[in-house]
Amino acid sequence: MNAPHGSRTATQAPGRLASATLYTLLVIVLSASGFSSVSEAEEPDWLRREQNRIAVLDRIAPTVVCVMPPNGQGGGSGVLISGDGFAITNFHVTSGAGNFLKCGLNDGKVYDAVIVGIDPTGDVAMIQLQGRTDFPFADVGDSDEVRVGDEVMALGNPFLLADDFSPTVTYGIVSGVHRYQYPANSFLEYTDCIQIDASINPGNSGGPLFDINGRWIGINGRASFEQRGRVNVGAAYAISVRQVKLFQGHLKSGRIVDHGITEFSVETDANGRVQIADVIESSEAWRRGLRAGDELVSFAQRSLTSANDFKNILGIFPSGTRIPLTVRGPDGQRTTSIRLKPLHEFQQVPPSPEPPQEPIPVQPVDPEDKPQDETPAELASLFESRDGFTNFAFNRRNQQRLLSRLIDKLDKIDGVDATWKMLVMEEGGTDSMTMVVGREGAGLTQNGIPFHQTDDDPDAAAEPPDFPGLLTAALQWHRLFRGKSAGWAEIVYEGTERQFETGTPVDVLITRVGPVECRWLFAEDNPLPSGVDVQASAGQDEARLLFDGWSSDGAIPHPARLGVVIPASGEVRWLKVQSLEIRP
Amino acid sequence: MSRLRSRRLLCDIAFVVFICLGTRCSYADVRLERQIDQPASSVVKLFGAGLGNLDSYGSGTLVSPEGHVVTVWNHLVNSGYLTAVTSDGQRYQLKVVGTSAKHDLAVLQLEHDGNQLFPCIDLGDALRPVAGSEVRAFSNMFHVATGNEPVSVVHGIVAADAKLSAGLGRWEFPLESPVLILDAITNNSGAAGGLLTDFSGRPVGVLGRELRHTASGTWVNYAVPFATLNPVIKAIRNGESVAAVTDQQTVNPVSYRQLTERWGMTLLPDVLKETPAYIDNVTTGSLTGRAGLRRGDLVVMVDDAVIQTGAELRTQLARIRSGLRLTIIVDRDGALVTMELRAP
Repeated sequence: MNAPHGSRTATQAPGRLASATLYTLLVIVLSASGFSSVSEAEEPDWLRREQNRIAVLDRIAPTVVCVMPPNGQGGGSGVLISGDGFAITNFHVTSGAGNFLKCGLNDGKVYDAVIVGIDPTGDVAMIQLQGRTDFPFADVGDSDEVRVGDEVMALGNPFLLADDFSPTVTYGIVSGVHRYQYPANSFLEYTDCIQIDASINPGNSGGPLFDINGRWIGINGRASFEQRGRVNVGAAYAISVRQVKLFQGHLKSGRIVDHGITEFSVETDANGRVQIADVIESSEAWRRGLRAGDELVSFAQRSLTSANDFKNILGIFPSGTRIPLTVRGPDGQRTTSIRLKPLHEFQQVPPSPEPPQEPIPVQPVDPEDKPQDETPAELASLFESRDGFTNFAFNRRNQQRLLSRLIDKLDKIDGVDATWKMLVMEEGGTDSMTMVVGREGAGLTQNGIPFHQTDDDPDAAAEPPDFPGLLTAALQWHRLFRGKSAGWAEIVYEGTERQFETGTPVDVLITRVGPVECRWLFAEDNPLPSGVDVQASAGQDEARLLFDGWSSDGAIPHPARLGVVIPASGEVRWLKVQSLEIRP
Repeated sequence: MSRLRSRRLLCDIAFVVFICLGTRCSYADVRLERQIDQPASSVVKLFGAGLGNLDSYGSGTLVSPEGHVVTVWNHLVNSGYLTAVTSDGQRYQLKVVGTSAKHDLAVLQLEHDGNQLFPCIDLGDALRPVAGSEVRAFSNMFHVATGNEPVSVVHGIVAADAKLSAGLGRWEFPLESPVLILDAITNNSGAAGGLLTDFSGRPVGVLGRELRHTASGTWVNYAVPFATLNPVIKAIRNGESVAAVTDQQTVNPVSYRQLTERWGMTLLPDVLKETPAYIDNVTTGSLTGRAGLRRGDLVVMVDDAVIQTGAELRTQLARIRSGLRLTIIVDRDGALVTMELRAP
């Protein structure tokens, strides 16, 4: 119902002029005298704040993306997270929009983008904008530091108002933190999210929430609407940037990233304690001694006051994450860790969700204004369809990156596929032990007692009790080093995460052969792994090995130290590798 | 025209000053405990019986350490079985102490063993901010918070202090006296009975129901000020007849005599309907004299309230309890001067 531009200007001009005169007068009055003497100390402060606000908006607006399907029908918002064009939005924005998207930035330009990875449960998607290596991107804040009452700004494209893609800014405060919003059929579950009163409307979905200093703290995804239509009622919810960061490294893998389950359930008891209600007997939690009635003191290093807290914490981690936890049972308090199992085990991209709570993308008023052209042919290679993946092209590219530098390192070395003989000694110990690793089996002799593990039928009972899993994992290490002839049945790039024991950022490559699944961890600067977690069969503890200080001093590269993670205690038992020879 | 313009200028100055002061306060690097955590902990989550479109949950505000809760008198109160969850996650049954249909008010009490003390607001500390003041609304809208989770907080300003003509279906809002109209969206499911505070955390009023304006049909966001409700709440708690309570706001302006004797100043007489608050005389050595007030000063603000007339000044001064600090801002030859003093 807006009047045309011309008439609105004409009718309002006199009033505006009068008002402008008054304000000029006011500024003169204020600057002339008096005012400065009233609040000499404060004036620079509020002035600085105003200037800061302007500078902050200038800085963050270029990082906000208008995300549109190729036909320009509808759309949502997003935020750039890196100079090479990776951006985060909502799953319910990209879902149904196709594999290629059009993205508008506030420079007025439209960029092509390709879908990279999705997290349907958490309602997060990653896309990559094309055509530049110097995209402006958002400064990441700490969503755990956000407090109720903090001022926030939501940027995005509500109602797709901006023809030039300059984002709309809405201001508000944090209304609540650590909120839980129920999923729709196990999708779009908002855990540990930030509740805000800034206006969130259709088209805002996927756009960034910033704190008042312009640090990115969340993704605006949903709102409470109820019976008044899909417009703002002062209760909207943003996915915390903490959660996005935990998924980001996995989304880059091009997979359909899943959330996790714990194989035990919790309940709040009458005294307000969070206790274990039930444990699946074949689970890692059971093997770690968790039993019904134990108090769950902390989960992922956060204390709990209700079963809701547990759901909130669990929901921010991707499947496969190893989570530390502390329980208090009849035998006292213990800290251990478990790996999260998948919630969905996606084989297909799930259908577009249509829950009642989402601000659905709106139809543009004038579709002619929006880009219509099809995806250029040269972008076609950016997408590859495969079951279980959002975009296999990204997975393939990362697998090749990790495997090619590994093979480069090992290719020129003879004997990597022969049998290795190592002399190892426990740190602090005095006796060397002989360890032999080959294609078919691995063995260790400790105090004159031989232990032997076979590759085709690994048996946990055959492992040396002081170093459980050492031989099983060493067999997989040998296989990895066979490079092109390793014979893996399947390889999947999992993404980046932090190594549990060291906290180092690592790339995770998953290999499968028969029932055996390995998670290889590669630190950024090393073609050789920094660790491996081997799941030889379901219902059995992982064989977990750390590789420390790779050395080329020997027949083939070997680590200066091998760390065996003891499942029961989580302790790492280190073995110094004194030598490695090839046995003819 | 020139008087109108100068009034407008005055308002603009006052507005800018207000913004500056407000900015200084709200941005100050204090954590928002007094402003947010304390009011939030006085709000309880109410649960009762819903019916059709009517929600089975709502909000209430603790107004006494003994567990008195005020809320709107809606279907929840009438449902007969009502429980409250306090900010520490504890659940209590509630009994109805009394209600006033005329004020759309219910006073309830948490049932407990009598030894417990509850966090609550101080009704004596309540104030009625003028239009334009920043406020916060605390409620369990949409039942977002469960157990011991803090209730939701939204921010806004008082858009108007006006009589409300609104209703829902056949039900008409009964209050004759003005209410605070808000620009924040507070008429959400479950928000009725929540707490409105000013930006410093002082109690202001009780959040109203989901109502539509009689003339426009638009949803109305409003709160009934404690200034109106306090005598009613007191009467209900004392078991007195609510009908005896006057509906009008009970603040009597400071008289000219009190102004001279207790504050040590006189104002320009009210020759016009809206005579500006010009100081006519200040007694040397008096309260206002020591604070630095001078003859010819034009009072533009008292604390957060914009003062446009002498009458408004006298009313505003009457609202300030004895011994409390207040800030007066005057226009002295075009410059703004701030003074602090304690109310006599």
